[in-house]
Amino acid sequence: MGPSERRPVAILGAGLAGVTAAVALRQRGIPVRLYEAGKRIAGLAASFHDKDGFTNDFGAHFITNRLAAAVGVGACCRDVRHYGEAVLLRGKVYSYPLGLMRNPRFLLSGIAGRLTGGRTPSPPRSVAEWFRAAFGAALAKDVAIPLIEAWSGVSADLLAPTAVSEKLQHGISRTLWLRLAGQLTRRAVANGYSHEMPERPSVWHVYPVGGVSVLVQRLADGLGDAIQLESPIEGIVVDSGRAVAVRVHGREEEVAAVISTAPCHVLPRITVGSDALQPLARFRFRPMVFVNLRLRGRGLLPDTVLWTPEKDFPFFRVTETTRSMPWLAPPGKTLLTVDLGCEAQDPTWSMPDDRLAATCVEALAPIIPDIRQRFLGAQVLRTPIAYPLFLNEYETDRLRLKQSTGVEGLYSIGRNGEFAHILMEDVYWRTLARVRQVARDLQAAS
Amino acid sequence: MPQQSSAAETPPAPRSRAASRFETDSEATSAEDSLSAIGRSLPDSIDRSQPLALVSQLCCLCKSDDADPVGVGEDFEHRSGPDTFLAMRCRTCGVVYLKLRPAMSELSRIYPPEYHAFNFSEQRFGLVYRIRRRLEAHRLLQWCRGIGPIARILDVGCGDGFHLRLLRDFGAPGWELEGVDSSIDAVGAARAHRLTVHHGTVQELSLPRAQYDLVLLIMTIEHVNDPVAVLTAIRSLLRPGGRVVVITDNTATWSFRLAGGRYWGGYHFPRHWYLFERQSLRRLADGVGLEVQDMTTLLTPLNWLYSIHNALVDWRAPSWLVNRFTMRSWGALSLFTLFDGLQQLAGRGGILQGIFQRPAEPDRAGARNHGPE
Repeated sequence: MGPSERRPVAILGAGLAGVTAAVALRQRGIPVRLYEAGKRIAGLAASFHDKDGFTNDFGAHFITNRLAAAVGVGACCRDVRHYGEAVLLRGKVYSYPLGLMRNPRFLLSGIAGRLTGGRTPSPPRSVAEWFRAAFGAALAKDVAIPLIEAWSGVSADLLAPTAVSEKLQHGISRTLWLRLAGQLTRRAVANGYSHEMPERPSVWHVYPVGGVSVLVQRLADGLGDAIQLESPIEGIVVDSGRAVAVRVHGREEEVAAVISTAPCHVLPRITVGSDALQPLARFRFRPMVFVNLRLRGRGLLPDTVLWTPEKDFPFFRVTETTRSMPWLAPPGKTLLTVDLGCEAQDPTWSMPDDRLAATCVEALAPIIPDIRQRFLGAQVLRTPIAYPLFLNEYETDRLRLKQSTGVEGLYSIGRNGEFAHILMEDVYWRTLARVRQVARDLQAAS
Repeated sequence: MPQQSSAAETPPAPRSRAASRFETDSEATSAEDSLSAIGRSLPDSIDRSQPLALVSQLCCLCKSDDADPVGVGEDFEHRSGPDTFLAMRCRTCGVVYLKLRPAMSELSRIYPPEYHAFNFSEQRFGLVYRIRRRLEAHRLLQWCRGIGPIARILDVGCGDGFHLRLLRDFGAPGWELEGVDSSIDAVGAARAHRLTVHHGTVQELSLPRAQYDLVLLIMTIEHVNDPVAVLTAIRSLLRPGGRVVVITDNTATWSFRLAGGRYWGGYHFPRHWYLFERQSLRRLADGVGLEVQDMTTLLTPLNWLYSIHNALVDWRAPSWLVNRFTMRSWGALSLFTLFDGLQQLAGRGGILQGIFQRPAEPDRAGARNHGPE
């Protein structure tokens, strides 16, 4: 073995993607060093438990039994019995997506969309066009477009159609079949959650006791001293188009390759010796404020998720997590997560926590009339990189990133690294596929 | 944890008679009993609510993790632990394997005492036992055709020696019969029948090389952690021209297509670590320098029966209903025999039978792939 093969692969970030990559490389006998800027591992998969018995997760709420079995945490998982979404429109609740067809306008619009959708002369150029083609004008105008605009903070005309077309692939019959399977088995059968691997009645949602971070901790068990906490990467050194070293704690360490799970738009800033990554600097993530309201009572929302496309609401989505996962709150109490889209440093982002909570309680009063009496407290989580925005202006660069970063030996993986709206199971399978590629490339290079 | 599966790890127990649906039904019987036996089948010292120690596996042929998840399930038959298991199918060769399997230290837990209980006895099953015994003997003698009156035969994963006894009763008097099993209980049971049985694994034992005319590997290959190592060892024990008969569950079946997402009987979670179909079994044989003499399928109602059984257990069906889908339910057995008969007509019977030969002449394939002998 030559000295070049002894250099480790540097992995940036000890979240699900980073830890999965480290384990998979080690399994192939490839040395790794995992650098984590924070004080602990688990990244976006982290969860927080407060003293009153409530659990607050950072985004990733549940996983699938398939992912749990792949990682070996199936034994500590609880089945999610139900998951459903509803839409609130002019005071009426429709189950999502098929319940919307109860409204004759949407039904006609949907049918018209189906009939003409396949005959549009050119492929849709934006999310707005995609929605109109797929759902019909009325449904696009009243539900889909307002929701995606509140979620993204930009006009649906500026978003690339891939922002939704890659997510909403299931046909009606498949949706119905998985829904039926869920009702028969009394399990929340995954339906539109995983895109890497097929969804089947045997794949349903589960939640690890102790939170989704258990998953990452289990994976990291065998990594030992390969993980270096509180070690932010200060630079990635590129020489002749190839990543050769990382800078950490003021030192330069030679590496065989670099796998980054950092938000891809920071790569141009920390890479030295190449401007191939410059296009990524334009990529934008949507910041979000999640307000977790602790309330007395249960079943306050019509279903687990309630979408609110109307502009009267400062939020676009409210989730009553206990409808799917009763154990996240003490008995007789519930947890509502309110999603507020914002921009970094805008008034919503900068608003003090108690005012945010008061605003949400106020705005929820039309849905839960006695919410003020039920209110017990709130916890606010802010993230500047909640969702990747697929803007048309850099769609070509985004598609290029899917293939490669443009720098040999530098890979950008995970939800933020890939700049993809993917959930935990997809992160896992995609990371394994990426590691196979890394291993092949290393072999070819040696 | 999950740890890397290391080459230094003790190779597994080719498990045993009780694992064999094909010839004994003992597993079926014990599974049937296990439903009512949950909670009393394991020694008190074992806490079945505790997760098993798991280790990760790759495809045994490709040594790769380039595979698709195909099934996720639990130990529906013995409830040895609270774990869930994921079956993967290799994209290159089609081998189906457990992504994480129980560690060797857990063998006593996943093969609980009643697993080995040999309940398919004449006392319990009467005429059925006698008929099946005849049928099994007939099959065995077919495999033995052409080996002559003086021969040495080894049954790897022999369990309590059911097949060896059949060979003793129905075979030629000049046959020298031996067994190998890694379970001390199985070895004890076999020796009680005055059989010659070696305790250990075929890779570790120093059995005489190039001495055996026939090796049987019946419902064993799917239980081991390194099928390639087991077949390599067997090849070295065979005299040139000698044969090995491999019998194992077939994944290229309609029952797998229908129930492979979770309930398929052949998964036998978490005891079947590698599962094959014609092409992948052929590839396994090719890889260790064995020539494929015959590759066919046999009929079995059991993977259908247990697919239904497992689904009913998972849905918490009442026990009277679950018990309609065990080895003692004649209606279900006849029905699924018919089902599998149709599969068998299409060349997709529930059990795979591969007959492989060590080349008669000193060959390059073996030398190329598998070192000195």
